Amino acid sequence: MVNGMEEFEEEELINTKPKYSQEEQYRVFDKEFMPHIDAMYNFAYRLTNDEDDANDLLQDTYMKAYRFINSFQEGTNAKAWLFRILKNSFINDYRKKSKEPSKVDYQEVETVYNSTEDAEYESTSDLRIEAVQDMIGDEVAMALNSLPVDFRTVIILCDIEGFTYEEMAKILDIPIGTVRSRLHRARNLLKEKLRSYAKSMGYKELR
Amino acid sequence: MADCSDKIGMKEQCENHAKCMEMIQAVLDGSASSEEIEHFKSNLEVCKPCIEGYELEKTIKESLKTKVEKVCCPQATINLLKLKVGIALLILVSTIVEIKIIQLIILS
Repeated sequence: MVNGMEEFEEEELINTKPKYSQEEQYRVFDKEFMPHIDAMYNFAYRLTNDEDDANDLLQDTYMKAYRFINSFQEGTNAKAWLFRILKNSFINDYRKKSKEPSKVDYQEVETVYNSTEDAEYESTSDLRIEAVQDMIGDEVAMALNSLPVDFRTVIILCDIEGFTYEEMAKILDIPIGTVRSRLHRARNLLKEKLRSYAKSMGYKELR
Repeated sequence: MADCSDKIGMKEQCENHAKCMEMIQAVLDGSASSEEIEHFKSNLEVCKPCIEGYELEKTIKESLKTKVEKVCCPQATINLLKLKVGIALLILVSTIVEIKIIQLIILS
């Protein structure tokens, strides 16, 4: 994924010849980028699990977006463009110092969960719908936050932000097929976490 | 694609459940192909594990969407960002003005 970031930095965030005047730059920044600031902050916060880091990551992302505004085509998907910059900034600058307990790369994570997928399904299939329905937001958020960041990311992008698989593939620099399989594994893992919470809450585990 | 259909009655076991769940998730996410949607519809009438899997996935997805708090960006951060962009713009404009002045001086 680092390679993907380098490619993105070099090929897509290059400062192409100016297409916007100074006034237009400010207008594009204000009209196209600023409306997504809450979603961007939320994404930064969910990635870093820290308010200060989320603030820094957000500001770095927006300043980078402003610096390379000429590589943004007005009227295209600004939200996906910004999310991609934020995700890459997180990988390059914040992941190392993040308070995230599980710092593993995509390949390692997927290898582990590929090998345990069947066993994992068996253990998560007895999660009851009623238990999930009765959980409060903090419990669902805790289960989400306890996932390795790579799996947490796909769930945030899909279920909280509502991106399509195609948009997620562009944001994450991975094929759509990988988006699907990673989401599937992330959800199995989330179900396992939710099942643990349900058990600790005293719900009956089996249907 | 997984084939879970059984013409006789409701299936208690799904031999391709992992594949079916991936497809069910794609349907819930609005990213399934028309072929997958058709398969999903027919499967939901005959495969019990798929029906239960669908209901659970739908509930979890709704919980993530509606229950997990969306933290808003602090106003101070928004103000700081606007200030930074304003300053960056000001520096850029003043640099351009300086260059123009230097060019004029050199030409004159």
